[in-house]
Amino acid sequence: MANPKPLVQSTGRRKSSVARVRLYDGTGEYHLNGRKLDDYFTDPELRRRVHEAFKVTDTEGRYDVHATLHGGGTTGQSDALRLGIARALIVIDPELRPSLKREGMLRRDDRRVERKKYGLRKARRAPQFTKR
Amino acid sequence: MRRAPAEVRKLHPDPIYGSVLVTQVINKVLLKGKKGAARRIVYTAMEIVEKRTGSEPLPTLKRAIDNVRPTLEVRSRRVGGSTYQVPVEVRPRRAQTLAVRWLVEFARKRREATMAERLANEILDAANRTGAAAKRREDVHKMAESNKAFAHYRW
Repeated sequence: MANPKPLVQSTGRRKSSVARVRLYDGTGEYHLNGRKLDDYFTDPELRRRVHEAFKVTDTEGRYDVHATLHGGGTTGQSDALRLGIARALIVIDPELRPSLKREGMLRRDDRRVERKKYGLRKARRAPQFTKR
Repeated sequence: MRRAPAEVRKLHPDPIYGSVLVTQVINKVLLKGKKGAARRIVYTAMEIVEKRTGSEPLPTLKRAIDNVRPTLEVRSRRVGGSTYQVPVEVRPRRAQTLAVRWLVEFARKRREATMAERLANEILDAANRTGAAAKRREDVHKMAESNKAFAHYRW
């Protein structure tokens, strides 16, 4: 593609999801794996999360977001995208850092699914106790 | 023994009505981690309420919750071998929690075909002070009233 050069590129991750984000000067449009925001995330709550980084920095509608998302489910992907956008924004304007930081939007949420242990039914659920 | 009171977690307002109350209801409808399904149920219920009343559904929901929110309840207290039902005032946060819990619980017990309809009708009933959830509040108040004599055992 003969796209103009992106302003910034960045990455965001959450759970198993990875979002590769490129920001362009623009009008607030999204291209997520080639699809629009409303098409890609059908749940309004997930759309809200994606927007959040722009919202807290008052930069809504100033950039177009092009992103490749892979891995994980919709929740992970939307949070990964938000982290990617937040990281990209502070590259464009380091002044935005405090406001993003305050909302915890620069924190990589490193919680993962806890592994199942042998001798247990799930990560922590023990088999029912029988007295004899 | 609990070391310290649990920290109150702040909820995000829901994206459609911008209301923390709606988020609370969604979280109460939530079963088995299926938040998306819970959201769909609540938003469909809100749409049904809107259609039925011909006005904004959020004020109707707020009125329903207000009508279910208890002011007095009884708690058990042992004094000298016997247990008394002591009436106590319900703190606002607990009153709110109970109201949302009852509304959703009694919606589940209704006989409409889908959860969205059950919830919508329970909201509409509660807004008119009828319905099982509103009745629950009256029952709790009645309990408190009839045990008024033990009010001096408050702690």
